[in-house]
Amino acid sequence: MPVLTIDTVTKRYGKFTAVDNVSFEGRPGRILGLLGPNGAGKTSTIRMIANITAADDGEIRFDEKPVGPWVQRHLGYLPEERGLYKKLKVSEQLLYFAQLRGLRRDDATDRIRYWLKRFEMEQWAAKKTQELSKGMQQKIQFISTILPDPDLLILDEPFSGLDPINSELLRDIILEQKEAGHTILFASHRMEQVEQLCDDICLIAEGRILVHGPLRDIKKGFGRDSINMEFEGDGAFLDPFVSGNQIRIINRTHHRVEFRLLNGASARPILEAAVNHTDALYRYELVTPSLSEIFISLVEGQAMHRATLRYE
Amino acid sequence: MNRIPIVLKSEFKRRVTSKGFILTTLLGPIGILIFFGIIIFISAQAVDSDSRTIAVADDTNVLLERMLRLESMDHRFVPVHAPLDTIRAQTLAGMYDGYLHLPAGLLTDQAHPVYYSPEGGGFSLENDLEYRIALALRQHRIGEHNLSPEILESLNTNVSLSLMKLTDDGEDAGASWVYSALGGFMGFLIYMTMLIYGTVVLYGVIEEKSTRVVEIMISSIRPFELLMGKVLGIGLMGLVQLTIWALLMMGGLALAGVVAGMLLDPSTLGVPATASSQELLAAANITLPDVSIDVFVWFVLFFLVGYLLYAGLFAAVGSMVEQQQDTQGLLLPVMMPIILSIMFISPVLENPHSSLAVILSLIPFTAPVPMVVRLAVTEVPLWEVLLSFGLLCAGFVTTIWVSSRIYRVGILMYGKKASLKDLIRWFRYA
Repeated sequence: MPVLTIDTVTKRYGKFTAVDNVSFEGRPGRILGLLGPNGAGKTSTIRMIANITAADDGEIRFDEKPVGPWVQRHLGYLPEERGLYKKLKVSEQLLYFAQLRGLRRDDATDRIRYWLKRFEMEQWAAKKTQELSKGMQQKIQFISTILPDPDLLILDEPFSGLDPINSELLRDIILEQKEAGHTILFASHRMEQVEQLCDDICLIAEGRILVHGPLRDIKKGFGRDSINMEFEGDGAFLDPFVSGNQIRIINRTHHRVEFRLLNGASARPILEAAVNHTDALYRYELVTPSLSEIFISLVEGQAMHRATLRYE
Repeated sequence: MNRIPIVLKSEFKRRVTSKGFILTTLLGPIGILIFFGIIIFISAQAVDSDSRTIAVADDTNVLLERMLRLESMDHRFVPVHAPLDTIRAQTLAGMYDGYLHLPAGLLTDQAHPVYYSPEGGGFSLENDLEYRIALALRQHRIGEHNLSPEILESLNTNVSLSLMKLTDDGEDAGASWVYSALGGFMGFLIYMTMLIYGTVVLYGVIEEKSTRVVEIMISSIRPFELLMGKVLGIGLMGLVQLTIWALLMMGGLALAGVVAGMLLDPSTLGVPATASSQELLAAANITLPDVSIDVFVWFVLFFLVGYLLYAGLFAAVGSMVEQQQDTQGLLLPVMMPIILSIMFISPVLENPHSSLAVILSLIPFTAPVPMVVRLAVTEVPLWEVLLSFGLLCAGFVTTIWVSSRIYRVGILMYGKKASLKDLIRWFRYA
């Protein structure tokens, strides 16, 4: 089964190093979440995998062979910045992209019919693309990505602009692709989606890998140091803990708060404070941190680390 | 697998089915006719505005009468019998554009005619008046000899000079101005089409970049395939448009010939009533230039390769910007040579064998316009045509190579305007 290997890859643009000695692996039948703050080097990495640009150092292999123009035959790439030919009809557009990727006309026509039906868009086939809503254009773009049934899928923010019903449909299709044994790379900022879908994650920032591995292991490594609390009453009792750097609030609404214990703080004194100061306490649960919290602490940790280095 | 044909087909189909293409194809010839019509109209207007109202004080008492009888008078002569001072005052007051004094001594060559006007007259006016006065004077002197009307009639001859073009195959009817007009027209057409179709390529590239389709395209095919497919597809569209225009114009000319044939009366031209419209036209001295098919073949070849050369450059410029407004500064150096070649079109027409013409038609960037002009108006040695075409092809291969390197980097660059320094860097790391 084809494995995607990114092996000590570096990409420079002039003096700026966009990707710095990055290695990770995408395995068939698994979804790899590629995460990172804006400008972390995700798009640069994806472009090298898609053979749009070439690595300056290191090598990218798919199915044990270094990538080249041939890889585009195996690849379905949905870029973050979507684009379609506005003047083309939906069916012409899909056919054009399919033919460019090596599909025969009749074969492509059958597949287009199948996917338009699946997305309930048959009646739009003869419409010009510019008449479609943004969400519908997203769906067309996704269809064109998976039309040739590629065994390497790169999806950059595939859910943006989709309503909950279409998001559900898209999630089902992505999971089908995974079951079919395809290698899937999923880049997103929406941590709850990554958490739901991904088997592995790879977090990069400033061109370097911060953490890479199965999502479950990574979360385990962080231990149970986050607390979910539901209560009735005034939440102000938490403020001294915040100013004392013992906790950090991750999420706060009127009756719910999610926070993380810092610097080895214990959960117990906070629980006692909560019992004393709230009208009612419904829930006080020690959990592993959410992916979004892991993301923030790792990225901030790196920034702090760099600041310290500079200081020395 | 080569995917250039797929891109070519899509680009071509998308463009020839657009409303814009259908409209320009059908209305193009009408537009050209209107354009030339306006030019002719304006030049006619310019001639008209030259016509003056001239007061004539004729002391000879005979010349003005004859001058008034002369045909095709551009100016209006008004006989005035008043003292010269009065006429002078009236002219200054704007009643006349000027006044002409014909002294009595003119008849015996003892005095000169004088023309007075606030504007001082011009060179062509001087020629014109001199010619008319001399003609009137000559007729007056002939009249004094009491010649018979037959002799007078025979003196009134009109000479129309025929200009023939000498070629290896013999001589060719059709005045040389027709060839010049044709050469100028073809040169202008090649200039316009290279510019227009090049701009179509430019906007196509910008559109792909600004709608971000390009990222999807080049994750499926190589940038060079996209570039070539687009350039060739639009070139094919241009060729189709030119062919339709040529057919429309040929049809129009044939129709015009038939209509002219119907309007001409065979008996007045001394040909049998059964004569075909072509014979009629020949008798009426209306001849269409007989241009060899080679000229048209070379026209198409120079248009195609010239277009390809510039299309590559336009595509490179398009890849460097995100909006049409940003192209101006970058386009100027690209368009400079084409503009130069159209600026030199009239010296090339005047003297198609000058070193200027030869040099211009050898430099790939300027070659298409002057070469086509020269081919239309004169015989160009074959080796020169082949050399020019060979250099043009070499120029095309070079520019497309350079352009595609800039293009493949440029289409992925967003957010900042490219400088010349960036260009050189892109060229290197592509």
